[in-house]
Amino acid sequence: MIKIENLEKIYRTEEVQTKALNNVSLAVKEGEFVAIMGPSGCGKSTLLNILGLLDEPDGGSFAFAGTEVAHAPERRRAELRKKHIGFVFQSFNLIEELTVAENVELPLIYLGVGATERKEKVAKVLEKMQIMHRRNHFPQQLSGGQQQRVAVARAVVNSPSLILADEPTGNLDSSNGNEVMELLTELNEAGTTIIMVTHSEHDARYAHRVIRLLDGQVVLEHAHV
Amino acid sequence: MFKNYLLVAYRNLIRHKGFSFLNIAGLALGLTACLLIGLFVYDELQFDKFVPEGDRVYRVYTEQTDKEAPETITPVSPMYGTTLKQEFPEVEQTMRILMQSATNLLEVGEKKIYVEDGLIADSTFFAVFPLEFKYGAAAQALDAPTSIVLTEDVAKNFFGAENPVGKEIKVNKSSMVVKGVLRNGLSKFHLKVNYVIPLSAAQLPPARMKRWGWHQFFTYVKLKPGADHQQTETKLQNYIVQKVAPAQVEEKITDKPFLQPLQAIHLYSSTFKYDLSVKGNITYVKALSFIAAFILLIAGFNFVNLATAKSMQRAKEVGIRKTIGASRQQLMLQFLSETVLLTLVSVVLAVLLTALLLPSLNAFTGKTMTFDLLRNPALLGLLAALTVVVGLVAGFYPALVLSSFQPVKVLKSAVVTDGIFGRVQWLRHGLIVVQFALSVFLIICAIVVFRQVSYLHNKDLGFNRDQIMFFPMRGQNMNTHYDTFKNELAQVPGVVSASIGYGFPGDQVAGDGLIVPTNGEQKRYSATQLMVDYDYIKTLGLELVAGRDFSKDRKTDKDQAFIINETAVKEYGFGTPEKALGQTVQWQVWSDQNPDSLKTGKIIGVVKDFHYKSLYDKLEPAVLQIFPGAYWKVAVKLKGENIGSSVDGVKQVWAKFSPESPIEYKFLDQNFDDMYKSEDKLKSLLWIFTGIAIFVGCLGLFGLATYAAERRKKEIGIRKVLGASVSNIVALLSKEFLVLVLVAAVIAFPAAWLAMSTWLQDFAYRIDMPLWAFLAAGLTAAVVAFLTVGYQAVRAATANPVNNLRAN
Repeated sequence: MIKIENLEKIYRTEEVQTKALNNVSLAVKEGEFVAIMGPSGCGKSTLLNILGLLDEPDGGSFAFAGTEVAHAPERRRAELRKKHIGFVFQSFNLIEELTVAENVELPLIYLGVGATERKEKVAKVLEKMQIMHRRNHFPQQLSGGQQQRVAVARAVVNSPSLILADEPTGNLDSSNGNEVMELLTELNEAGTTIIMVTHSEHDARYAHRVIRLLDGQVVLEHAHV
Repeated sequence: MFKNYLLVAYRNLIRHKGFSFLNIAGLALGLTACLLIGLFVYDELQFDKFVPEGDRVYRVYTEQTDKEAPETITPVSPMYGTTLKQEFPEVEQTMRILMQSATNLLEVGEKKIYVEDGLIADSTFFAVFPLEFKYGAAAQALDAPTSIVLTEDVAKNFFGAENPVGKEIKVNKSSMVVKGVLRNGLSKFHLKVNYVIPLSAAQLPPARMKRWGWHQFFTYVKLKPGADHQQTETKLQNYIVQKVAPAQVEEKITDKPFLQPLQAIHLYSSTFKYDLSVKGNITYVKALSFIAAFILLIAGFNFVNLATAKSMQRAKEVGIRKTIGASRQQLMLQFLSETVLLTLVSVVLAVLLTALLLPSLNAFTGKTMTFDLLRNPALLGLLAALTVVVGLVAGFYPALVLSSFQPVKVLKSAVVTDGIFGRVQWLRHGLIVVQFALSVFLIICAIVVFRQVSYLHNKDLGFNRDQIMFFPMRGQNMNTHYDTFKNELAQVPGVVSASIGYGFPGDQVAGDGLIVPTNGEQKRYSATQLMVDYDYIKTLGLELVAGRDFSKDRKTDKDQAFIINETAVKEYGFGTPEKALGQTVQWQVWSDQNPDSLKTGKIIGVVKDFHYKSLYDKLEPAVLQIFPGAYWKVAVKLKGENIGSSVDGVKQVWAKFSPESPIEYKFLDQNFDDMYKSEDKLKSLLWIFTGIAIFVGCLGLFGLATYAAERRKKEIGIRKVLGASVSNIVALLSKEFLVLVLVAAVIAFPAAWLAMSTWLQDFAYRIDMPLWAFLAAGLTAAVVAFLTVGYQAVRAATANPVNNLRAN
């Protein structure tokens, strides 16, 4: 589903050039669960941003579902994002002015889904995430674990084929963290491809495969069996 | 989707109450000011537009070309009307209104009321102004000398609800017949009118009606459809030069006539002399329009400023929405709909405020403006358009900035750094500079206008205007026995002295001439003739600089003596007051029987210049002489104490001489103050709107200061940990804004200087440009800015640094 080759990303300031990604190549198959690990500043998040079409690489190629997208125009990338990719962030990134249900509904609105269908889908996914009883609450009224479940619900509500998770348990205690990891695993088992950036060896164990980055390069790839 | 936008907008509004308040209050106030000014300006522009066929009606006025600075004189010779009608084929009709005091005693049965604003006009009045009749008809309404046409209000006052056509009404004791009643709705007519009397009733001597030198008629001309008024004007000017002036050797005609379109009369006649119409002033209308635009601009800038400043808090939301798949267009649409919503709320508030304040504005301006949205779909449409335009224009830039955020950048950091916002910084600063420049400009204007108006009211006019009771004489008995009347007035306890005459300061004066022998030649100079008695100089407290006052003991003083003012000494070339004494001068007597007779006499005294006209007018040569034939006004100087009982005493004497008419008196100082009514109003309006402009500007500044303090929380925390004092921090935060105010002042100073020196030019007597006003305006702006910013700065500086550091 994803194939990148010799990917490069360079951050430039007036005096220094930093290679955030240096000749990174990797492939992720459909239905895989991949964890990307590495110390702070190794380029994990940069890679995830490029994979999520939020950022552009400076070199190399990036094929998403068989199409080259490394330098696709913003409009096309926004299109791909809303149809195929769901995001889960460490800091949840829920819109504070919207309720749980409205947050989850948002991607469907941007997709142009009709109101009735939206209501159904939102109800279904909230049910699944066991957060239905909180549907009319605002994010700040929820615990961290609950907020992350809402975020996951929002990420999966339009059934994307790929979920990108950036330290999804980073702001959670271990029991809430485990819950979220279980959720991701369930989604993966149902066929969703998941790429997750994490610091946690514990979380990484949920993945099929771990890619380790150091100074913008892949240093190790190994599989969990 | 739209619902979602509105929902977020609404919740944002509620959540950031302070910000929403600043935004909405600022815009609502600005819009209210604009609406009120707009209504006023619109009303001013509506004058005479209701007059049917008014686009073919012109007023004749003349410029007197014999002066250094030509004077514009509104009343013209009766011959203009006659000539235009007879000699100019393109003229459909002409009409003249006699310039005279228009207050008459109207009587029906027992009911006696002095009614102002009666017009004495040619019978063609309603042919030129086809006003609407409630009863009767325009045709023949003024044909008989005993006809009178009343307005609805006056008719109601005397006859109640019945139709008064054919009924009798006495005007100054002579019987007249009501021929028609004009419908109400003349509030936007340039003529103040309560009733119209035909000119034939005035029985003016035919000889006088043929005089080209008698400037006594407001003259209107209605051209035939398609006629070009400029051609007619040129023709008329040539006619005067070629046919009239050469034939009128005696009168020395220096008129240059012009035709003024009817709809220009109200606003474009502020410098016209002897004009009795309801006057506006295009300068003030323009100034107010500018102020309205200023205020809207300031409010709009606030909006943009606050919105871009706040965008920092919305950055994360933008990031999330983009990540989820929102396009830039969708985001722009979202933010634009938010600003339009905010604008809508402001507009609704402004409409309510306007409706609430309009009665006060009406009372203040003496207008009857209405603000009925339901009955005025055009106004409603205008407001809707205003909402959309202001919302879109003010929202466009913030929307552009917000929608351009890169999700990667804004989602990562908890606080958006200045990197993203750096480029909007210059814009925000620019807008603040413009706002403060406008405020400083308005403050300077307000101060200068205030100073000039106080000057107008308080300048030493060269006579003592306090405690002088002032009224016209009424009735045969009083006019015949004016001398006895005056003597009895002087006997009243509390009365210092009394004077009867024509030509008191602040009242009507007669422009005329004086013949001065110069180098063996009889030279005719212009002169204001003040017809006085032996107590005029004493009553008004004029100062004699040479010679003596008129004296009853000298028989020749009545018919052979003149007193002139210092300006006359200069203009007539006498050199010094002393040299003027004893000079022989001549005056063409006001006499219908003997229009050519001359009064010859010597100059016996020179009075110090005194302002008998408003300070708009330069002092002119004035001649004082005893001429009982023109007496009709009375001035009574009262002692400072027990004024009430003195006034009662005067009233008793009045009742003895004119029991059938009630007295109507004023005080002379009030007459003078009334001359500057429009300046007084301008002054008040300027203060009010300057206040609003500054307040609105401060709201914006307050919002920005809040934002700046918020943005620099962490920096402040670190600085405090490192040992910065509260005052260090306050200085740090305030400095930035004070520099902007300084820049604003530098921009505003020359603009204000230019605007105000132009305005002051209109006054013959004016203050010097007060330099301190500039300093004061700059300081005020700086202090206001400092207080506004300082509050936030102190709050930020006194906060516990640990909290801020931890939060970040």
